Amino acid sequence: MRHSWWRWLLVLLAVLVVFVPSQLWLKQRITQYKSNYKTPLNPTIMVPGSSASQNRFDTLITQLRKETKTPHSVLKLKVAESGQITYTGSIKRGDNQPFIVIAFENNRDGYTNINKQAQWLNLAFKDLVKTYHFNHFSMLGHSNGGLILSVFLEKYLAQTQNVTPERLMTIATPYNMESDSTTKQTAILKELIKARGKLPKKLTVYSVAGTENYSSDGTVPANSVNQGKYVFQNQVAHYTQITVTGDDTTHSDLPQNKQIILLIRQYLLKEVLPSKDRLPMTKRSQSNDVTETGLP
Amino acid sequence: MVRLLRGLWRTNQRLSQWRAMRAIREALRVAYPFILVMALVDVVGQGFLSKSGFFFQIYHIGRWLPGIEFWQQGLQAVSIVVNGLVAVMVAFTTGHYLARTYHAEPLAVGMMSALAFLTLNVNYDTLGQGGHGNEGSQFLEVNLGPQGIFLAILVGLGVGWLASHLMQGLTTWWLHHRKKQLSWTGRIAWSLVVILSLTVATGYGVSWLVDGGINNLVYLALQTLSTNVGHDGWWIIAVTAISNGLWWLGLIGPISVAGNSSVTSLQNLAYAVQHGSGWGAPHPVTLHTLGDAYANFGGAGMTLALLIAIWIGSRQASYRRVANQTFLPNLLNLNEPTLLGLPVLFNPILLIPFVLAPAVSMLLAWAAIAWRLVPPIVYPVPRTTPGPLVGYLGTGGDWRALLLSLVCLSVSVLIYLPFVRLLNDEGDDDHAA
Repeated sequence: MRHSWWRWLLVLLAVLVVFVPSQLWLKQRITQYKSNYKTPLNPTIMVPGSSASQNRFDTLITQLRKETKTPHSVLKLKVAESGQITYTGSIKRGDNQPFIVIAFENNRDGYTNINKQAQWLNLAFKDLVKTYHFNHFSMLGHSNGGLILSVFLEKYLAQTQNVTPERLMTIATPYNMESDSTTKQTAILKELIKARGKLPKKLTVYSVAGTENYSSDGTVPANSVNQGKYVFQNQVAHYTQITVTGDDTTHSDLPQNKQIILLIRQYLLKEVLPSKDRLPMTKRSQSNDVTETGLP
Repeated sequence: MVRLLRGLWRTNQRLSQWRAMRAIREALRVAYPFILVMALVDVVGQGFLSKSGFFFQIYHIGRWLPGIEFWQQGLQAVSIVVNGLVAVMVAFTTGHYLARTYHAEPLAVGMMSALAFLTLNVNYDTLGQGGHGNEGSQFLEVNLGPQGIFLAILVGLGVGWLASHLMQGLTTWWLHHRKKQLSWTGRIAWSLVVILSLTVATGYGVSWLVDGGINNLVYLALQTLSTNVGHDGWWIIAVTAISNGLWWLGLIGPISVAGNSSVTSLQNLAYAVQHGSGWGAPHPVTLHTLGDAYANFGGAGMTLALLIAIWIGSRQASYRRVANQTFLPNLLNLNEPTLLGLPVLFNPILLIPFVLAPAVSMLLAWAAIAWRLVPPIVYPVPRTTPGPLVGYLGTGGDWRALLLSLVCLSVSVLIYLPFVRLLNDEGDDDHAA
């Protein structure tokens, strides 16, 4: 047959034309599946402020358990100055929304201490990911805890691959420390602003402030909380500022404030609240993070 | 083996003497070119232009083809009309051919049977709701497409027979009692009235019992069977065999292919994403990992293997022609034109390999997975992926799966081959495709 040589070449060509692109497509799809995959375990990491221990959120957690009627289990970590980690409590089997409180032996205030604490937080975080294999989580920081989390997100999170933070809520976090000034930036704020490009782009951030009077919650100036916008705005997917007034709005009462508990449930834990409990907030901006599961 | 084949051959000869059998083959022969064009349109539409199409995805067609929506919608329109009404065509041609053998009015009877088929598929639930516009379709459109071919054949045969006899009976009755010739109009009008009353009554009665018409009754039963197959390999093979047997009867598509989104498949996918491969996936043996991956080349019944067997062993010109014409659709698992064109449907000789080849392939795949020679498929694969590539791509590029696919294909070709050779002896008179 004179034509058979051509025919075989044609067949070979046809096979290659299908096979090679499908190979590339396959690789692409698999990485896509990997990046879209979310583990069932979806912990909320809580970091208390200065001078507080790993038990700082106990009242809040008791209240949350009672209200949500889900037995969120609690794991508490304490990181010593040497970097050694002590665990108390546990993540119960089958509980996919546990709380993990991370506190530090050195829980003092101040620029150097906060930077060190972020480093310790990173140690604890890596240990947690290695133990529990979650690839997405949310965060709650009270006071300086919010600063520690912010520094951690900018400086250290990139060290852990394939783990995405979804939501961060900071309660009365003084982004500009004790300064009431709207123009002068303290060292930590300067640093946070400088490295803000490294913040995870898909993160949703809520910054909650409490005020006893028009300017402060008794400890942290409202202006200092406000400075958070220079860090997050236009850097993360959504940045929302919320101010809570009324009873229990002094700085240390905030984590057990009724309104803030509702905010945590609604925004951080993404519960569907009965409409009477939902806060009549302004509509959140349209989210642009529609994730395609990619099923054909 | 030889005796079995000889017996089969005799059965085949006897069956093709039957008027009904001949009517079915003739009806399918007439419908074939329409279905072929449709399948080629579907190749482009489903394989290249639809978002879930295999070639759309591997060539990233959405990125570079201008006016993609125009092409999609244009092809969809053609597909809806021809593919969506295939069963009506079959009802017409069956009735038409049968009436011709009875020397009645073929065209009129054909139309009657098409109308009768439609009355069985009227959406009776939407009737009497008042004309508020588009609450529901007036016809059960699903049943007018390939799914309805079996019912269409039954209706065509029934109406063809009944109408032909009614007309003759009416003519003689009229002559006896009225002492004059019954007019042409009268004969057809009276038969039409009788037939439509019968079918409307049937259709209405069924609509009380079940949503979705007569057809749905069968499909519902099958779907409950296939959704609960579980992990027992024998049971999976049995269900597939039953399903393929029904395909052969023209009950097309009771078990939906590409169960990418069933719970077990999703759990397998989650496992693979975490562990990097499908080894040790929680559900290694399911309808999806066996059937969709290794027993569906070309569609139900491994028809891709049938085509190759025809290329190797058939001396029938018409068979070879159909094989060449339907190769491309078969590559994308759209095998309706092959089934109707050869025809495979109602062909007693091809029934055995049509059921056997997928069953043996599944058995091989089951053994290979159970002995841990290949991992199960875990990644979703488009429905229009060329059959032998499904295993390879679904396992994330495991060459052993590709090898197993080729083994399954070769074994299936070997299963088809003796039956295809048997058909060489068939008279070429009624094949003119």
